[in-house]
Amino acid sequence: MKSLHKYNNVTISKRRLKEDTSERRGAKMSGHDSKYFSTTKKGEIPELKEELNSQYKDKRKDAVKKVIAAMTVGKDVSSLFTDVVNCMQTENLELKKLVYLYLINYAKSQPDLAILAVNTFVKDSQDPNPLIRALAVRTMGCIRVDKITEYLCDPLQRCLKDDDPYVRKTAAICVAKLYDINAELVEDRGFLESLKDLISDNNPMVVANAVAALAEIQENSSGPIFEISSHTLSKLLTALNECTEWGQVFILDALSRYKAADAREAENIVERVTPRLQHANCAVVLSAVKMILQQMELITSTDVVRNLCKKMAPPLVTLLSAEPEIQYVALRNINLIVQRRPTILAHEIKVFFCKYNDPIYVKMEKLEIMIKLASDRNIDQVLLEFKEYATEVDVDFVRKAVRAIGRCAIKLERAAERCISVLLELIKIKVNYVVQEAIIVIKDIFRRYPNTYESIIATLCESLDTLDEPEAKASMIWIIGEYAERIDNADELLESFLESFPEEPAQVQLQLLTATVKLFLKKPTEGPQQMIQVSF
Amino acid sequence: MGILFTRMFSSLFGNKEARILVLGLDNAGKTTILYRLQMGEVVSTIPTIGFNVETVQYNNIKFQVWDLGGQTSIRPYWRCYFPNTQAIIYVIDSSDTDRLAIAKDEFHAILEEEELRGAVVLIFANKQDLPGALDDAAVTEALELHKIKNRQWAIFKTSATKGEGLFEGLDW
Repeated sequence: MKSLHKYNNVTISKRRLKEDTSERRGAKMSGHDSKYFSTTKKGEIPELKEELNSQYKDKRKDAVKKVIAAMTVGKDVSSLFTDVVNCMQTENLELKKLVYLYLINYAKSQPDLAILAVNTFVKDSQDPNPLIRALAVRTMGCIRVDKITEYLCDPLQRCLKDDDPYVRKTAAICVAKLYDINAELVEDRGFLESLKDLISDNNPMVVANAVAALAEIQENSSGPIFEISSHTLSKLLTALNECTEWGQVFILDALSRYKAADAREAENIVERVTPRLQHANCAVVLSAVKMILQQMELITSTDVVRNLCKKMAPPLVTLLSAEPEIQYVALRNINLIVQRRPTILAHEIKVFFCKYNDPIYVKMEKLEIMIKLASDRNIDQVLLEFKEYATEVDVDFVRKAVRAIGRCAIKLERAAERCISVLLELIKIKVNYVVQEAIIVIKDIFRRYPNTYESIIATLCESLDTLDEPEAKASMIWIIGEYAERIDNADELLESFLESFPEEPAQVQLQLLTATVKLFLKKPTEGPQQMIQVSF
Repeated sequence: MGILFTRMFSSLFGNKEARILVLGLDNAGKTTILYRLQMGEVVSTIPTIGFNVETVQYNNIKFQVWDLGGQTSIRPYWRCYFPNTQAIIYVIDSSDTDRLAIAKDEFHAILEEEELRGAVVLIFANKQDLPGALDDAAVTEALELHKIKNRQWAIFKTSATKGEGLFEGLDW
């Protein structure tokens, strides 16, 4: 640094000499000005560098803290890499953690220098303190530098067989991380076998993490890596009762992928897992439900299935009293569950009624589920709700509610008439987007139940002029064309649409064309023929 | 005699922790020497990828001893440790006659370093317990130590596994 300053001085003063005609004056000036270049201030990085190399431990620790602080606010302190790494070998756990944090952040930007840290990792992974061993192996997994991964295999191997469960469970996750960096290496070094051995570990947390790591690896690999045998199955079921909630989630997810040999085994597994349904953690409950549903496929006894369905309903309902975000996740899952087994929640439709203060994303999902759960028994109730929703303020929600009514009509033949009367009521409110949406669904209802509800066409025609959305227009035109013989002034109506034919979107143009042709076939007169020509 | 040298060290370093670098080719025995100095016992070592640092107390002087990995891939990074270094211990595998030439080149490269101008140099002709090991005179010859000018240096015959010669070196 200093020599650089000197160099600057020299060149600048030389230039001055050339520029100035008076050599003496120039030399004098540069002599005075040179003080601006030889400042004593060194800037932050060199200052930190000096402190990091201090002989006092406290000062070094403070310096590392300053570096980390600078790092977290986004300053680039990667140039201090070696100096920070030099502080790595210390008995002070706090300092060590800080240096590790620094390494995780900057090893990628200094891949060559990262090698200097390897020896310390190797040493720390043999430290008498299990916390340090685990810390070392965890940090190693976070350093994604190819050059040093191979050096980390031996320590990892040792840590996987460590006496301390905390180290083993950390090492298990590290294998998954390593697999992401270099899958081949993990396979060559037999880490997958070690992981599988950990499933038989006597500590449930280790088992859970080994399962999590294997599941993660399985996700990123094409071949079968993690298959549960009947032996590991019993291990997993035992660990399930003892490990933390997140461990339980991992194990349950893994179990849901297990194919039971027969109905009896499936029943056994389900029986062991059912208590998880009462867990306070939503993730555990959902994973348990998922797992039970998977195994239920194999269970033949209808009694058992019915019983299970009964047991699953209350926990699912409970999920809906959680925060909206969790509700949403639960609803998305319930949506799938009711598709597979509508019976589970058949009697619980009321919990899916939207509350006025539900966030919109929850409302939308609830609507979906209500449609799926609607049946002849509860349709009156449901329709009342939908009608209510159709008068709310949120446009998207209202539209979806109107569509929901239509879908119920299509789904439940016996309720179709009631649905249509609700739709007609809504049309009478004359809210533009409600009308348009209603016409779209009525078209679908007509297609589903042809020649049943044409009496309402007259009412629809009243709102013809208000239509401005292509889909609604197209639907209306389809209805006119389809029932041209029953609408006295069908030709007039179509003609009114034809006026703007060239400006219409393709969807509407297509419907107009088909409708006029239909009209011509039904009433082969002059008018329609001309109209067809106009369209071409 | 010892007191005299202690005083000499004290005059060199004051009461600071002196920083000593242990350098040399891979498999020369640097790590073994470090732990022999620190704990007085032979530890089983693996190649050092990176560095070890320990505080060694000897004759009431605290040394911060940095043992740097000697593999070709790490040698370029030695220079990161040169600033503020008071002394260098250069370790030579005296039985590895084939690579003495490389050891010599590396050694003279270090001596050229600007930042190490003031550092004293101590050479350990290590592994004297092995058959076929060259003695200190032969190593001096091979390293062309006589070319060293303007610098304090000394060479000692050592055996890290047996613990011979190490403290004599420090005494110096």
